[in-house]
Amino acid sequence: MDGTVSRKTSGARLWFVFHGWLALPIWAFLFFVCLTGSIATVSHEIMWLANPEVRANAPSSDARLLSYDEIMAAVEREEPGARVRFISRPVKSMFALNVAVTRPDGNSARLFVNPYTGAVQGEQGAFDFRRFVRALHAWLLMPFDGGFPIGWYAVSALAIPLLGSLITGIVVYKRFWRVYLRPRLRVSKGRRIFWGDLHRLAGAWSIPFIAIMAVTGGWFLIQAILGDNHISISTAGVPPVVSRSDVPAVDKGAPAPRITLEQAAEAVRHQLPDLEPSFVQFPSSAYDHISVGGRGSYPLIFESVDVNPYNGKVERTRRVSDRSALELVTGSMRPLHTGDFAGIWLKLVYLVFGLALTTLVFSGMMVWTKRTAIETVKVVRERRQARLGLEAAE
Amino acid sequence: MTVLASPSRGASLWQRWRFHLSALVLIAPIVFGPAWFHQNAFFDGKKGLGQREIGEIAVGPWSVRLAEFKLSEPDAEGRAGHAKEFALALCPACVDQVKAAYLRVGKPRNLRTAGALFSGTPYRQTAEMRVPERTTADDELWLTLEGWDGTLHQATIPIRTASPVMAAWLEKRGRS
Repeated sequence: MDGTVSRKTSGARLWFVFHGWLALPIWAFLFFVCLTGSIATVSHEIMWLANPEVRANAPSSDARLLSYDEIMAAVEREEPGARVRFISRPVKSMFALNVAVTRPDGNSARLFVNPYTGAVQGEQGAFDFRRFVRALHAWLLMPFDGGFPIGWYAVSALAIPLLGSLITGIVVYKRFWRVYLRPRLRVSKGRRIFWGDLHRLAGAWSIPFIAIMAVTGGWFLIQAILGDNHISISTAGVPPVVSRSDVPAVDKGAPAPRITLEQAAEAVRHQLPDLEPSFVQFPSSAYDHISVGGRGSYPLIFESVDVNPYNGKVERTRRVSDRSALELVTGSMRPLHTGDFAGIWLKLVYLVFGLALTTLVFSGMMVWTKRTAIETVKVVRERRQARLGLEAAE
Repeated sequence: MTVLASPSRGASLWQRWRFHLSALVLIAPIVFGPAWFHQNAFFDGKKGLGQREIGEIAVGPWSVRLAEFKLSEPDAEGRAGHAKEFALALCPACVDQVKAAYLRVGKPRNLRTAGALFSGTPYRQTAEMRVPERTTADDELWLTLEGWDGTLHQATIPIRTASPVMAAWLEKRGRS
């Protein structure tokens, strides 16, 4: 009887020690990744607050959104000669249109264009906060030279200790659900109690969020392994090209007439009425399509349509239903990780839970720096004694 | 608790800081930060057409500026073999006259085999040219320009001129 009790406590203690060791040696790295990830969820909104140029202010309450052709005309007026590569137009957005252009000197720029007036309000400078925070969070700014950088592997591999901490945490924290009904955070009972309460509270409340982050983060690790080994799971096939016979020959060396963007958008609306186009990509060569894409009925995955720029025919659609089950799952991973598919409310939810996870890492460190070491010594001593006891008995 | 209390100063520093050592990971973004900004500027064309400009190349009535996109050996692309990326800018006068540009190793038999199609804008476009197995450093690259009126013009560039790095790589590969 005595023996079983001691083995049981020893088992629980072992889980405890596991839980402690999973994140403790890497806590500072994990803390950094959680913190930068939390900021990344709202980095676009932070830019909106900091820089009036990226806002889409309507000149009047009944102002009408410009059509694609009007946008093109406005850009040509303000940036003569520049070639538009794509226009991204977040649906019902507070953000200005993002128009990527290449200028005659070969420089590319992203212009912030007011969607009501067509005014070029500014352009993205060298420091793109959103891009910076993402790169810092996801691959520590390391370069992609013919493959995924070590930083990407290091960050995404954190999914493993994260998942381990989640599982061992649930095992260790018995009846954790009680904290949902009666949350407890003792402030005046000393630091150890405070950090311990905070750790359990933040942990129990973020169980689903941690699970999402661990699984989607783990996918990023798998994605890098697949990518670096040239393994593709895509069913998209070879990108289509415009047939040579569709490109009319013209005299005197001028480009063949193409349909306008609005005509392309109209063809898409006609074919796929439930698609909300949020970006339009220009043909990148004479044999390329106009690509229009956006979110459809399943918000996690972008759908896209390729329109022949010479005759306006829709020549390829890439819809949710065209994708394999595996692609639907893996394609959902990134939006689930970033939370950018349902509007600002979800981004704020992600921010709150992201900060909770960041707190969890920090409070864990506060609780465990001393405790894990002590508990480890105890477990080692206990096991050694048990072994000695067994040897003595033999 | 004798295990935790340590007499020597070095050991006590270790005891105190050992769990915080992972903060050293942050050295990576500090070291790579400047390169990250440089690379973004490069992709935006603010550091030139490519990493090494090859020069102005006359192609029939037109001319183009050609550059090695990255100053590096051809990339291994799995089953597709190796590929080398080049960047091209059309001359200001021919921006609206040239329909397409292609690049390959060796002379193409016809337009269908003209090689990698450049994509981008007339001011800066790139193509990933396949490097066939039997390519040698003495071979030439063939650049084909197709006009909107259907005319074709070609130019050749020795690999040694186009990319000394690639030529050296081919020589090394040829020897082994």
